[in-house]
Amino acid sequence: MRVLLIEDYAPLARSLAQGLREAGYAVDATGDGAEGLALAEANPYDALVLDLMVPKVDGLTILARLRARGSNAGVLIVTARDEVSSRVGGLDLGADDYLVKPFALEELLARLRAVIRRRYGAPANLVTVADLVIDAGARTVKRGGQPVSLSAREFALLEYLALRRGQVVTRTEIWEHVYDFAAEPSSNVVDVYVGYLRRKLGDGEGGAPRLIHTHRGLGYSLEALEVA
Amino acid sequence: MRRSLRFRLTVAVVGVLATVLVALSFVLHAVFARALWRELDGRLRDDAAAVAGMAEEDGAESEFEYEALPEFERQWRPAYFEAWLDDGRVLARSPSLGAGDLEHGAARVAAPTITDVSLPDGRPGRALQLRQPLRLEDAASARGPARVSLRFVTVVVARGTEEVVETLGSMRRWLWLLGLLSILSASAAAVLAVSRGLRPTRALAARLAGLDAAQLGRALPLDDLPAELAPVVAKMNELLTRLRASFAREKRFTADVSHELRTPLAALRTTLEVAASRERSAPEYRSAIGDAVAIALQMQALCENLLALARLDSGPLPARREEVGLRALVQDCWRQFEAPAGARGLKFENEIAPTAAVVSDREQLRLVISNLLSNAAAYTTLGGTIRVRATGGDAPVATVLEVHDSGPTIPDDVLPHVFERFFRGDATRSDGVHCGIGLSLARGVAEALGLALTGRNTPEGGVIFAVSKGLPDAGAP
Repeated sequence: MRVLLIEDYAPLARSLAQGLREAGYAVDATGDGAEGLALAEANPYDALVLDLMVPKVDGLTILARLRARGSNAGVLIVTARDEVSSRVGGLDLGADDYLVKPFALEELLARLRAVIRRRYGAPANLVTVADLVIDAGARTVKRGGQPVSLSAREFALLEYLALRRGQVVTRTEIWEHVYDFAAEPSSNVVDVYVGYLRRKLGDGEGGAPRLIHTHRGLGYSLEALEVA
Repeated sequence: MRRSLRFRLTVAVVGVLATVLVALSFVLHAVFARALWRELDGRLRDDAAAVAGMAEEDGAESEFEYEALPEFERQWRPAYFEAWLDDGRVLARSPSLGAGDLEHGAARVAAPTITDVSLPDGRPGRALQLRQPLRLEDAASARGPARVSLRFVTVVVARGTEEVVETLGSMRRWLWLLGLLSILSASAAAVLAVSRGLRPTRALAARLAGLDAAQLGRALPLDDLPAELAPVVAKMNELLTRLRASFAREKRFTADVSHELRTPLAALRTTLEVAASRERSAPEYRSAIGDAVAIALQMQALCENLLALARLDSGPLPARREEVGLRALVQDCWRQFEAPAGARGLKFENEIAPTAAVVSDREQLRLVISNLLSNAAAYTTLGGTIRVRATGGDAPVATVLEVHDSGPTIPDDVLPHVFERFFRGDATRSDGVHCGIGLSLARGVAEALGLALTGRNTPEGGVIFAVSKGLPDAGAP
């Protein structure tokens, strides 16, 4: 999942970005409201972690502009302002959640997961496709009851496919939601990672049903097709 | 014990009323007594005339034709008369005299005289004595020129004074009684009026007792107050307004402080939580610990500034006066910003002459300079230059020192506000590290030292903060 972090206090932005990356998110971070708004308008982020008091363009303005443009990215406001009026103002402008500094990293991650879940209409962290069970909270994957060990990138790819299960997901979409700007763009990196994922899941091998399907010229989908 | 208004008013009312009543009683008594005595004297005169009229000359004989006068005959408090001729022969005596005798003055005194006497029965009395010619028996019927008798009769008439004395005594008693009644009722009225007049103050007190910080906004009602209290309550309302403003400021300050502390606290917590979330290499731990220490130092600086600000608010700081070498002090202040400024590629130029000095308080001046340098180090764009100058060169004489930075400039609409507490309008210059009390504190301390702190943009696109001896009672020679 790809997240935009807009926070102007550098030490917090740094550690928060690290924490988010280590939790498996592709993270773009900026301490500048104007840059943040431009990034959010140009990229389909799954969620924004938004500080309200950022220079140039403040957080509430960013939120209002994004919602006015019809963006449905999840927005988690993280701010030092704890007045009720401030919370209500943020939520009414279209924020999905509101967290007051200082916060526990775990809580921020949990709320962020919830925000992203809501965006994809998933009721819980657990996604089950046939005998494949993906737990976004614990970041574990089981196939036929056996745990599967995935790298962060592989898990992010699977998580995205799982959230959009039953839909054909294009390579560009995968690229946009799983990789941040730090990743080197290359033409077949998505295909390579899908290959890794299939191998680790043992997809379509040894009698196991195939769950990740290739749609030539379109992309991939995660679903249990009844056609054997 | 405090003397109550009621007590004082009552004393005043009673005092004035008593004085007036006493004076009035004296006058009334005097007028009345005079009238009574005159009336008594008039009656004596009438009595004397009547008695004298009874003595007549009948040829060679002097006769006294007594006509019944009940007052001169009765036993109880009788009146008395005695008439005698010039030769000493008693012509007549009132029946009331009995065997007694009436005091009288010298014979042959022509004018009627009135004297206080002791009556034969021992009562105090008043006597009138007159001498007049005898009436001629046929004078009333005679025609032609009147004849006047050549013989004289002297008459003394006396009456008791007890009626006058009793009347006056009774009058005095009534005056006392009425006077006391008036004073009592007037005091009661005064007490009542004051209590009633002060009733709104009790209502006011109850209202004030019920006030708390949240209700400061409600003004006290002026409607039912006596005119004397209205200005007091109006002043109280002004006080409430000032208190409300002060409370609001305090509340905002607390909110701002908590806001300023929350962000670095969040960073500290996140940094430590991320570091602890998994096993890491030593360099990673070292980096996280370094970050945490840097944040802690920032928080410490913020707390120290807040504390200095609170002290400044509670009164002027005690300032020492000593010769402070500016160059060394600026260099000393810069030390704490050297590392972070170096990381941002900032150049620092201390252009103060080694001899430049000012008489001031070293530690407070350090606070001013540190905050100016902190501000410059935070806002100057990457690779910029911070330059500190002191008196001399092209600087005005009154300038103590100036901190130049290479920009960016502060927008003109923002410039007047940068010295306000927690002002964050300088968003374009913010890198998030800064919290808006440094400049506010610097200016407060500078002013306490008798120095002015001003900021301006330069045509070259930089900013200058200048400390100058701008205040009239400047702390420098």
